Amino acid sequence: MKLAAALALLAALAAQPAKPKPIWARNNPLPTGFNPGEAFPTIALPSAVDGRPTSVAEFRGKKLIVNIFASW
Amino acid sequence: MPVWHAALEPFEKAGKVAVVAVVQDQHPDRARLFLQWKRVGWPVLADSLDLLNLDTVPLTVAVDEYGIVRFTELPMSATKTIGETFIDQTYPKPASLPPIDRGRFETFTTWTMAIEAFERDVQRNPNDGPAQFRLGSAYRARYDSRERRTTDFADAERHWTRALDIDPNRYIWRRRVQQYGPRMAEPYAFFDWIRDARQELAARGETPVPLAVEPGDSEFEKPDPRALAKAPAAEPDPRGRIRRDAGEFIGIDATAVPAVPNAGDTVRVHVTFRPNAATKAHWNNTADPLVYWMTPPSGVTVASRAVVAPNAAAEVSLETRTIDYDVTLPASAAGRVTIPGYALYYVCEDVNGVCMYRRHDVTVTIPVKH
Repeated sequence: MKLAAALALLAALAAQPAKPKPIWARNNPLPTGFNPGEAFPTIALPSAVDGRPTSVAEFRGKKLIVNIFASW
Repeated sequence: MPVWHAALEPFEKAGKVAVVAVVQDQHPDRARLFLQWKRVGWPVLADSLDLLNLDTVPLTVAVDEYGIVRFTELPMSATKTIGETFIDQTYPKPASLPPIDRGRFETFTTWTMAIEAFERDVQRNPNDGPAQFRLGSAYRARYDSRERRTTDFADAERHWTRALDIDPNRYIWRRRVQQYGPRMAEPYAFFDWIRDARQELAARGETPVPLAVEPGDSEFEKPDPRALAKAPAAEPDPRGRIRRDAGEFIGIDATAVPAVPNAGDTVRVHVTFRPNAATKAHWNNTADPLVYWMTPPSGVTVASRAVVAPNAAAEVSLETRTIDYDVTLPASAAGRVTIPGYALYYVCEDVNGVCMYRRHDVTVTIPVKH
């Protein structure tokens, strides 16, 4: 009897829709926005020197370290 | 030089790896100055608008020769070199590679075009945080350009604040708002390194990368001691006898951050001074520096009634000057708080070839949230 009640409770819990994670709980612990195995975004960004649109994809052909930072 | 720069150097010299920097600064030339100071010659891409849609910085991402992310932190340790873990590894070639995303950004030839496009994004979905942030950053970029409109800075602040309200976990967005806001309880040294960098570069005999926009006082942990030392203790023109400049020589606009504070809040006021190109006006740096004097109404608190913008090193110059200061509103503030003030400065013009001392009256108005 007890087993049947426990199974029924588990079934009821399983049937409930999963609560969406609060926004602060997503991407923890350290969100990067990049995932191993996926392509690095190919969006063209302006060169800080002359404004020429440049994509990280233009560096294909050799290994690349992309260092993303702010000077502050 | 950080340890990982040194670890990469032999591989860079052998042509086996390249490094590219992506900077999240609103003013990317400051990052160029930083890299010049650190003797780093990487290509620098500017992501002022956060098109990469990142939460935080710094990030170091290892990407293989096909453009595929392999590591989201530097794969090196005390026992494994980055050569063993990444650079000398062989990765499979994907069946297809995504093309370069030229995006809409490349089609914009003016900041106004970018703002119009981003405004449409925000109208379609006002709860799109990245769109709000992009729009704010585009407004600030236009404010710093020849296309500038006097309301651009306030619009930037409004959209950045809205973006952060939508998603308060975005560290980059939070710092962008703080950068121009009131001095924090624990002041953050956003750009204090610039003073050191310029001194060291000068000592090395190098010309520092010029900055399009100098950091304001709120972007330093400590106020500029030169400005504090030269601030007058007494009102410099109490009887209003100095001849006025109504913008013929120097154009002025003021922006409060946040634009619409609560009663009792502290607000950062930015006042910007631009020589008028039509009269070929320029600063005369062989005289006293620009002084801004304000007369806050009862209950409104400022640290000093005088603020000084130091002269440039050259005898004459054309730069935009900015002063910024904190104003604390009384808890009883309502409606609009008005702070009268004026600037006194030495300016020359090249139409008639004369130099003069002028006063420019400025009234800062801060609407208080209901």
